Amino acid sequence: MPVKNEFDVIIIGGGITGAGTARDCAMRGLRVLLIERHDIATGATGRNHGLLHSGARYAVKDSESAEECIRENKILRNIASNCVEDTGGLFITLPEDEEAGFGLDYQKKFIEACQKAGIDAKAISPSDAKAMEPSVNPSLIGAVVVPDGSVDPFRLCTANVTDAAMHGAKVLVYTQFLDFIREGDTILGVKVLDTRTGQESEYRAPVTVNAAGIWGHGVAQKAGIHIGMYPAKGALLVFGHRVNNVVINRCRKSADGDILVPGDSVTVIGTTSTKVPFEECDNMEVTPEEVSLLLREGCALCPALASTRILRAYAGVRPLVADDSDPSGRSISRGIVCLDHETRDGVKGFVSITGGKLMTYRLMAELATDLVCRKLGVTKACATADTPLPGSVDGRIETVSKRFEGKVSAGQKGAAGRQGDLVGKIKFATPEDKQLVCECENVTLAEIKYAVSELGVRNLEDLRRRTRVGMGTCQGTLCIRKAAKALAIALGDPSLAPKLAADYLDERWKGMRSVGWGDTLREMEFMQRVYKFEKPYSYDEI
Amino acid sequence: MQERNISANNFEQCQKCSLCETVCPVMANNPDYAGPKRSGPDGERYRLKNGIFYEDSLKYCLNCKRCEVACPSGVRIADLIQQARIDFNTKPPKLRDVMLASTDQMGPVAGAFAPIVNFTLGLSPVKSVLDFAMGIDHRRTLPKYSSETFVHWFKKNAAASQDGFKKHISYFHGCYANYNYPQLAKDFVAVMNAFGYGVHLIDGERCCGVAKIANGMINAATRDAKINMGAFRKSVSEGRDIITVSTTCTMTLLEEYPELLKVGNDDVKEHISLFEKFIYKAISSGEVKPVWKEGWKAKAAYHCPCHQERLGQGIFTTELLKMIPGMELTELESNCCGIAGTYGFKKENYKVSQLIGKPLFDDIAAAKPDFVACECETCKWQIEMSTGVPVKNPVSILAGALDLEKTSELNRP
Amino acid sequence: MRFDVVIIGGGLAGMTAAAELQNGGLRCAVVAEGLSLNNISANDFKAAGGTLLRGDRVTGGTFGDGRLLSVCTAKLGDVCLEADYFILATGKYFSRGLAADMDKVYEPLFGLDVEYDPDRSTWFDRSFAAPQKFLEFGVKTQNGAALKNGEAIINLFPAGEVLQGISSADHDAREQIIESAHAAAQAILKRN
Repeated sequence: MPVKNEFDVIIIGGGITGAGTARDCAMRGLRVLLIERHDIATGATGRNHGLLHSGARYAVKDSESAEECIRENKILRNIASNCVEDTGGLFITLPEDEEAGFGLDYQKKFIEACQKAGIDAKAISPSDAKAMEPSVNPSLIGAVVVPDGSVDPFRLCTANVTDAAMHGAKVLVYTQFLDFIREGDTILGVKVLDTRTGQESEYRAPVTVNAAGIWGHGVAQKAGIHIGMYPAKGALLVFGHRVNNVVINRCRKSADGDILVPGDSVTVIGTTSTKVPFEECDNMEVTPEEVSLLLREGCALCPALASTRILRAYAGVRPLVADDSDPSGRSISRGIVCLDHETRDGVKGFVSITGGKLMTYRLMAELATDLVCRKLGVTKACATADTPLPGSVDGRIETVSKRFEGKVSAGQKGAAGRQGDLVGKIKFATPEDKQLVCECENVTLAEIKYAVSELGVRNLEDLRRRTRVGMGTCQGTLCIRKAAKALAIALGDPSLAPKLAADYLDERWKGMRSVGWGDTLREMEFMQRVYKFEKPYSYDEI
Repeated sequence: MQERNISANNFEQCQKCSLCETVCPVMANNPDYAGPKRSGPDGERYRLKNGIFYEDSLKYCLNCKRCEVACPSGVRIADLIQQARIDFNTKPPKLRDVMLASTDQMGPVAGAFAPIVNFTLGLSPVKSVLDFAMGIDHRRTLPKYSSETFVHWFKKNAAASQDGFKKHISYFHGCYANYNYPQLAKDFVAVMNAFGYGVHLIDGERCCGVAKIANGMINAATRDAKINMGAFRKSVSEGRDIITVSTTCTMTLLEEYPELLKVGNDDVKEHISLFEKFIYKAISSGEVKPVWKEGWKAKAAYHCPCHQERLGQGIFTTELLKMIPGMELTELESNCCGIAGTYGFKKENYKVSQLIGKPLFDDIAAAKPDFVACECETCKWQIEMSTGVPVKNPVSILAGALDLEKTSELNRP
Repeated sequence: MRFDVVIIGGGLAGMTAAAELQNGGLRCAVVAEGLSLNNISANDFKAAGGTLLRGDRVTGGTFGDGRLLSVCTAKLGDVCLEADYFILATGKYFSRGLAADMDKVYEPLFGLDVEYDPDRSTWFDRSFAAPQKFLEFGVKTQNGAALKNGEAIINLFPAGEVLQGISSADHDAREQIIESAHAAAQAILKRN
């Protein structure tokens, strides 16, 4: 039935930009289709620091980005309370920074630039900085407090997709964009492939939005359009627990490995910046050199990292719009690029939204949606800056935890922290439901069931992004057998379990391989002992 | 720069193998307890994120340390749990807990009226009052208080003669020997004197603090620990090692002081030794020579207390006991008796406490020993109450098996 | 404290060798840091009169004349364990029989010679389910005795997973471990 496949707007890409755009379009009353070739938040969205930038990092060099950041920072604290943690941030000056010309004179310039951009930056004494964050490098000679925080990108993306769907959007994951349906210079819709069934389909809409991040380069090419993007790989390391409770940055010209972010139950150091070929974007390995560099720089921020367990390494690709004059990619503004291909390239019904960053996703979505609405003659104003996301109406864990009757279990507190005020939808009906599946991250069977039925989970990676299952110290060694069984049953085919587990462990293995020595190597051996696969995938039940 | 990827944060060395859960006596008997892994290293990670993740059920941990003995990664699981209770439990200790914990303050008061206190504590209406008002379980046989403390006896009868010996040690008697069972301490003095050691008290000895730690009275425990450490240093500077008899006190002095109370002991640690290790070393090196009583015979079953398991020095006790001719020694399977100091005295724990001890009680019944050999005073209460089999400290066993007079002659310089 | 044989490690290899040696008339002590993943019972060994030091850890040893003379433990302090023979059954990485830094694999207790590939990129296969090279690494031996700086320690016999080529992650590991423990025990019994 072709009617069913007609929409007002089709959005390609289930990262945070696409999700935010889908939400905005849906809230303005458009009939929205969102397509994503994998799961939501699988690209750069799920592979960054999770830093809620204050904008201070950009203040000296790029005041426009800085102003955008602090505006969006304030908005996200308001609309995404369940996804954001107000940790505060420090920009520290170390003795070696002074030698490199980024001493306290630079700090002064930095503070002035921050204030000019509207960022509340204040110098504090090194001793006050140590009191505020005991893990900070004690040899610091200066510190500035800024309103940085941390943001959980998985939750943020899930909340946007959920809200889009609640406003009527159709969301198709594991649906790959193949080509455009085109008539002359007008894009009429898209041809897609359901990657699980192999079924090809067509969907039509007067406007298609390319929000595919770095992969948007290839999407535009299908329309015969060149967007000069280049992929900048950023590698990060995850440490086993919260080492710091305040974001720590270096007060100097932005460089590799100079941001340490406490996110949920871990700490993340990042990032590097390396230009990589497009072919590598789908499968990036973190190199030993990158690991060494991140550790070296991380220890300068926080010496305790030298003796903290590293859980894994991962890398994402920034979708930077190329400026060929700077090969390092650092000097480029992370500015938002919203392209109307009708005016730019003479192709009607096609819009690209790219550049930008996680922090400014909402603004990017607003700009893209404004453009879509202009094309469709819709005048309804954007309301995403004032409307809390699902789960964040009052998403603080302390408040949400109070809603449970009787004694609140660790699993319920964990769920409250992740799902915010939507936690009421999780049914803790039986004692079995309350049982923990993932003990590192306090994930119950009930939360898994909820994620499968409400949040569109199809494999353990999807489940991880919704619930943190298997993201803890053991990286799934203890829980993945249980989680795979629970998921397979919820999906209606218990025999899927070993394959689900094997796929998940391959992904965990990838992140652990880069840091496979010391205690992580012990865990890897343990993992190998616990899961001995026979092909086709099966293992002994224990 | 990190090359090892081995965490200095002890809890991160946990590989989540869960072997600790297989030995936790509480987890097996109390469904409300999340077990050592979740209460310890797992919980710690989340508590670092947000204190809201502190679980009230940590109070069920009896700090037997069996999880630490079982852990292949060397994680100090029980310490993590005790530390979390110290850091996060905001509820002040109940009057009952304060009373149970203040062994060296209740002792003097009770001791002065021992006949009355013992009579009253044994009477069931009073037990019911304790049960109702304070939550001390009425089924519990309470430890008796002695009418004369060891210290009092020592000063009156033994102190004067100690300087006549050539070798000297300081004796950390602990609260139990002082207030409840001075005979143990008297046996200690007799045996040490026979081996040629003069026995001296620790200046102003305080309770080791284990009960205060378990009941959340950290400031009081720390104060006592500092006083004890000061006295130990003085003793060591005078060339006297500190000899202990209680395994729990010893574990507290050696392990809990630095780990939980942050009272350092590195400088004197090597000079603190359990009686059994000290005498084993002295006999096997020929430093002292025992003379055993002719015809002494006994069938004993050795119960290794949990805190001795943690100290890992039970081998000295068994090797020492095996030296006694006429000793038929069997080693009981390693199990917790369930009392864990003041834990089993609390109403909410009584049932679990007895369930935990059952395998041990059954083993003792099957072994039919003349007595159980055990270094721990609270195990003694529990085992005697639950099985009726007498429990003897190795010190007292030696005091009975040695020909003290001949030993004394042989070891006289 | 003197024994005929001290067995370092209380897992499948250690307890198998210990029971065989104790039953063969030798006085044995097993030092076992924690429980073993293989869920080994020590009852047979203890019933035969063996000494089990559970929850203790060997911290180092004294060598002389190409032999290991004694080992010290964390819990026994200044009392060391002397023996005519030693069995090293400390397992692989999980049980810390082997340890790895960024660029090397080593035997952390005595610094014995270890067979491994210094290029870390070869340690792992990309697929979790594929054979992993790091699990093949282990201490080198000569006629069953451990090698240290190329020289044999003639009374120190490695057994089980600490050996090169044996890993519990393999399906037939159990038989291999028992076989190696048996070989080590027989080597000692033959010399006695």
